[in-house]
Amino acid sequence: MKILIIEDEEELAKSIMAYLKDENCLCEFAFNLKNALEKIDQYSYDCILLDIMLPGGDGLKLLEELKRQHKEEWVIIISAKDSVEDTIKGLNIGANDYLPKPFHLAELSARIYSVIRRKQFGNTNKALLNELEIDLLTKKVTVNDEPVPLTKTEFDLLLFFVGNKNRVISKSILAEHLFGDMWDMLNNDDFVYERIKNLKRKLADAGCKDYIKTAYGIGYKWAS
Amino acid sequence: MKRLLNKTLLYYTVFATIILLLSIPFLYWMMEKLYTDDVDEAILLRKKEFVTNNLRSLRINDIPVWNKFNRDIRILPDTVLSKPKDSIIQEIFFDEMVPEWEPYRVLYTKVQIENQPYILMIQLNLVESEDLIKTIIRLYLGILFSLLLVIFFITRFISNRLWKPFYDTLEKVKQFNLEQHNQPQFTVTKIKEFDQLNASLDKLIRSNLRSYTSQKKFTQNAAHELQTPLAVFQSKLDLLLQDKSLTQAQSVILQSLYEAASRLSRINKNLLLLAKIENNQFTEVSSFRLNELIEQSVPYFTEQATPKELVIEQSIQSDIALQANQGLAEIMLNNLLLNAIRHNIEKGIIEIRVQDRMLEVSNTGGSHALDAGGLFKRFGNSQTDAHNSGLGLAIVKEICDRYGWVVHYRFVLDRHVFSVKF
Repeated sequence: MKILIIEDEEELAKSIMAYLKDENCLCEFAFNLKNALEKIDQYSYDCILLDIMLPGGDGLKLLEELKRQHKEEWVIIISAKDSVEDTIKGLNIGANDYLPKPFHLAELSARIYSVIRRKQFGNTNKALLNELEIDLLTKKVTVNDEPVPLTKTEFDLLLFFVGNKNRVISKSILAEHLFGDMWDMLNNDDFVYERIKNLKRKLADAGCKDYIKTAYGIGYKWAS
Repeated sequence: MKRLLNKTLLYYTVFATIILLLSIPFLYWMMEKLYTDDVDEAILLRKKEFVTNNLRSLRINDIPVWNKFNRDIRILPDTVLSKPKDSIIQEIFFDEMVPEWEPYRVLYTKVQIENQPYILMIQLNLVESEDLIKTIIRLYLGILFSLLLVIFFITRFISNRLWKPFYDTLEKVKQFNLEQHNQPQFTVTKIKEFDQLNASLDKLIRSNLRSYTSQKKFTQNAAHELQTPLAVFQSKLDLLLQDKSLTQAQSVILQSLYEAASRLSRINKNLLLLAKIENNQFTEVSSFRLNELIEQSVPYFTEQATPKELVIEQSIQSDIALQANQGLAEIMLNNLLLNAIRHNIEKGIIEIRVQDRMLEVSNTGGSHALDAGGLFKRFGNSQTDAHNSGLGLAIVKEICDRYGWVVHYRFVLDRHVFSVKF
């Protein structure tokens, strides 16, 4: 899987690459618009992470260029320019997702995961993990063809874990993922714990192996 | 509070009245003195006339006849009087004609008639003079009073005109609102002081606006600039967490770092949100019902309230339709509800009440009223915990201000009540 990271902040780009490399991802960098345009001209990628504010020009130009060339790269905008207009504009031009800075790498990884699943599996949109099958479109989960009834939160959690296989995810990241903007206003640790407990129980009841492990007491990990 | 003009006129009236009243006795005294002098002169003139024309030809035998026909110039025997001679004095006689006691100016002087000593008495009645003085004073007061009245109205008229630029400026300054960012245009005036006042106010407002804008810009820029380093920081934490050689002790430190980073990014996000509301970046306005938002939010918050075993009561008595940015209205409602959960006590109560055009969120909590002044200020709340960005209520206030809603806090019957009047 090839990913192009267009981001002028080198340290951030490096972190993203280091985080994604386990997922047998091949990451490439572009630190400015010119560089990025050259790259998309020559190669094709599965996914592009695009920072809108770039030295040498607006990242939205790259989206226009992609559209002009009829390329089918999936684009996730990562931006500190927290402006609704730009987001809408970007999504209109052809970006597939939007992630405002600062974000957690786990969140990014989960987004990339679903973007790529959607791309690779076309209409079926199914992810297979041993005995576990997740239909991203209908949001149905089956274990050995047996349906597992999950709530929306539990499904979200499962997908987040699957998008971050073999990585430790801190509890606060999970809370932030589940509750969005309101997550840190309240003490959600217990709440996350309850949800994970339920998810584990439901999966175990359906005969799924226990993939979700606690890690160092500060987070969880999907080990497979 | 009195108006400046009324104050001027009040002073003017009071002092004018006092001066007028004080002037009456003085005037009376002056007039009386003038008249008395006049009368005295007349008496002396009569004496001179008598001495030149009558005295030489007068015989002792004529005296009774003279006295009979002259009421005011009489010749008295020298024996009768112990009165001072040759000086005019004031005496009171009984006048049978009127009849009452009346004041007279009287001169006693010695004369020789046929070498016999006699006393000549010349008297002049002052009664008429008093009437005259009274009339004059009345006339004088009448003129003074009408003059006063005229001056009063003229002053009022002139003052009104003179102070017009001032009131004009005052009205404009009153309507000035720093947040709306409209520099008032003062009317040009030819009066130096008002012109200086306008110029100074203009300068003051301009520099205020400038520092307000730059402060706002600074906050926004600072928050923006922090986004990227924060992103780097968080990403490094995420990477560190993947390190296989992480010890238990290190992971505890890492957890604290996570929490600090989260809080930092939360504060930052809220500051940006505030800046965006201030900068009017939520332009999309739609019509929606507040009740609908409440219905949507309550299940989520009920879930959030379970760890503290809170009871959420609803008393919905009216339907509030709003015309605003729905996202902002949701943020406002959510912040109020979160606030009610966070500052609640175990097994406490939250009440959501909708009545007329009013939303009230009340909760049990601390047993003391909070400082309403600092409550809605940024970081105004001194008690901060790890989950509090200190901006939640400031955001509520900012949103309410944006739409002209009135948010209010009060402490009633051990409940903290936040109300929003739409």
